[in-house]
Amino acid sequence: MSNFIKKLFGTLTEKPWESDRAKIDDAHIGKTFDLSVQTSAVIIIFGIATVLFSLIFTGYIYSIPPEQDTRYLLKPNFLWINTFVLFVIAYFFSKITSDLKQKETMRIKRNIILVGGLSYLFLFGQLYFWVQLMQSGNYVSTNSYFSSFYIFTALHGMHLLGGLFFWGRVAGRILKMEQNKILDEENNISALSMYWMFLLVVWLAFFLMIYIFNDSFIAWCKTLIS
Amino acid sequence: MSDEYENKSGYQAQSSEALTGSAGSTPDMDYVRPAELPEQDLYHGHTFLTKWVFCQDAKVIGVQYFLTAVFTGIVGLILSWLMRLQLGFPGLAGFITAEHYYQFVTMHGMIMVVYFLTALFLGGFGNYLIPLMVGARDMVFPYVNMLSFWMFFVAVAILMASFFVPGGPTGAGWTLYPPQTILEGTPGSGMGILLMLVSLALFVIGFTMGGLNYMITVLQARTRGMTLMRMPLTVWGIFTATVLAMLAFPALLVSAIMMTLDKVIGTSFFMPTILKAGEVLEYGGGSPILFQHLFWFFGHPEVYIVALPAFGIVSDLISVHARKNIFGYRMMVWAIVGIGALSFFVWAHHMYVSGMNPWFGFFFATTTLIIAVPTAMKVYNWILTLWRGNIRINTVMLWCLGFIVTFVNGGITGIFLGNVSVDVPLSDTYFVVAHFHMVMGIAPVMVIMGAVYHWFPLITGRLLNETLGKWHFWATFLGAYSIYFPMHYLGFIGVPRRYYEMYDSPYMTSAVGMNEFISLAAFLVGAAQFILIFNIIKTLKTGKPAPKNPWKANSLEWHTSTQPPEHGNFGERLPVVHRWPYDFSVPGAKDDFIPQTTPPSEVVHTKVEKT
Repeated sequence: MSNFIKKLFGTLTEKPWESDRAKIDDAHIGKTFDLSVQTSAVIIIFGIATVLFSLIFTGYIYSIPPEQDTRYLLKPNFLWINTFVLFVIAYFFSKITSDLKQKETMRIKRNIILVGGLSYLFLFGQLYFWVQLMQSGNYVSTNSYFSSFYIFTALHGMHLLGGLFFWGRVAGRILKMEQNKILDEENNISALSMYWMFLLVVWLAFFLMIYIFNDSFIAWCKTLIS
Repeated sequence: MSDEYENKSGYQAQSSEALTGSAGSTPDMDYVRPAELPEQDLYHGHTFLTKWVFCQDAKVIGVQYFLTAVFTGIVGLILSWLMRLQLGFPGLAGFITAEHYYQFVTMHGMIMVVYFLTALFLGGFGNYLIPLMVGARDMVFPYVNMLSFWMFFVAVAILMASFFVPGGPTGAGWTLYPPQTILEGTPGSGMGILLMLVSLALFVIGFTMGGLNYMITVLQARTRGMTLMRMPLTVWGIFTATVLAMLAFPALLVSAIMMTLDKVIGTSFFMPTILKAGEVLEYGGGSPILFQHLFWFFGHPEVYIVALPAFGIVSDLISVHARKNIFGYRMMVWAIVGIGALSFFVWAHHMYVSGMNPWFGFFFATTTLIIAVPTAMKVYNWILTLWRGNIRINTVMLWCLGFIVTFVNGGITGIFLGNVSVDVPLSDTYFVVAHFHMVMGIAPVMVIMGAVYHWFPLITGRLLNETLGKWHFWATFLGAYSIYFPMHYLGFIGVPRRYYEMYDSPYMTSAVGMNEFISLAAFLVGAAQFILIFNIIKTLKTGKPAPKNPWKANSLEWHTSTQPPEHGNFGERLPVVHRWPYDFSVPGAKDDFIPQTTPPSEVVHTKVEKT
């Protein structure tokens, strides 16, 4: 990071009109970061999604009413299983990327299919949990705790669906490919892998949020202070 | 960051002659790094639909954005005429009821800020100029870029559809403050507000697709030799504004989604407990102030999303038409980046009257005043660029000079309003209307006009008529000042904004004539814009063909294989850059400009002045 900042500020202090500088600049390749355009796109999407989810978190913390009923979410429930599914996806993506690094293409097709299937499983799990919540009388308009819960999980699900759209395109190509050509798709696969890791990080932040910023926890904190 | 400068072993130095076709170069001096990145595989449309409608060429997409944004701008202009008709001559047009007036105000504001200015600067100029100026064949994701435009088009269609639904468009004011926005009694609180929110959400999604392209093309797809600090300031402005937009628009998206849910399924994100006609509504627990924070977290950077591209473009236009290198290039870049960063820390100066903690107001007043520093630096640098320049007083330069004066005016009143104690009494008066129209209405529009006159020959191959251009400028410039100078005075004497009619109030009776005068000036300024439309039509039919690079500019867009540039921009070989784009009037040079592609061996006896 410090290297990045040093280079960034170094760039901004260049004097492009000076002839000595020009000799160095003439050797420039025209690329700022040593990244593929796909990975660059995923990083930028991370930035946008981070702002988006941070604003929802902020909105949630800003508007927790004192009489929040959070017991349902705090009980052991399907969210834990879904979190586990996301961890399994992350594990398989790490396998894929390490296989790519070692140019081992044998298991990549199978693992790519697996991460897609597990992602759909996660989405169905989320829908199932929504149904459970609604059956217990907790709707999106019940209170701001559940409103935030539904909107967050919906946006996270849409974020995942967006990723699955590109997963479909990449997986479609890879499945038709001969084994030795799969390495040509390395940039796309690495970008997908990063995307899913980010989804996991956002999910964990959310998971901590709903378990920490709720009235039971806040009440417990208050007892500590008093 | 990559090791972009490293001269790895095994590369063979090539002379620029081999690469650019220029003569008389020496290999040692004109070393360029061999092409290492693969050529972009472009999709060339063959049918009318794929070539002109669902086209993937950034230049065509830029023109599509431009024309759609101009269409929305004309709608916004007509709405402003109707508003001024009501304010200057109340009751003259019987069909303008109070509800209609508020709908016109709301739609005018939202259209002009988001659908006209943002789309035009980033979608229009961004698409057309970025690939050309950085030496790329196209945006990095042309298909996504095309989707971006069509998403914008659908957003505009939905917004315009709200004029025709029962109850009409929303009349909640362009800030869409809850709770009144979605409650009965506010014009357009049914379908109107819903269509507005859906349209805004689509706009943000569409823009994100475009923004992704602008950012990655600038960062990762420049041509050889084009370092970040060799980029024209136009690209710096558009790039930084895009970064701002990518970080600020999610706030608009989140608030649009949350408000839609409040409206449709009864959530209470922004809705407190409300009594209506003695009856308690089902809402409760939400915060309208939260919406204000979210809205202005988007809304204030939005000012700079419009202003930064304007700053960049005007810097380039002034440099080219004053035949002088831009004064303080590095400082200009720092100022653009600095303003962009600071713009995220000033949002609550729009909320001084919301009842905030005084320390909160103190903080935001301080940050607001700090942001004036880099902004003032830019103004000084424009003036110092003009100082002892070989200024050409053509239409482009007139628009640039008009911009500087207008921006200084609007900026200074912004410093007034940045102070809490001054803002509180002025906040709900016409002083604020005058301020923001000067700084983010008229000033950016002047840059747009200058840019249109400057780049029209590149886009069409013909030069716009100068005489008509000057008429257009003077009518707009004098007319705009006739509107907004008196409006500051109206604000000082306490005339409130957002009123449908001024009635027989003491502060207004002293200014009835002035109010009528403002309306007449507004009609004139609006009508004057049709001079440009006439000029464009006349030029396209019978205009003078433009010579190649008619303004003798240095940046890459003027050095394409054809003019107007074809799909792919640069013919068989991409250009190779050897210098920044501001080498004008360099002592010892044959001409008063040295294009970015000129290798050092062709200008050995020149010496660029320090800046």
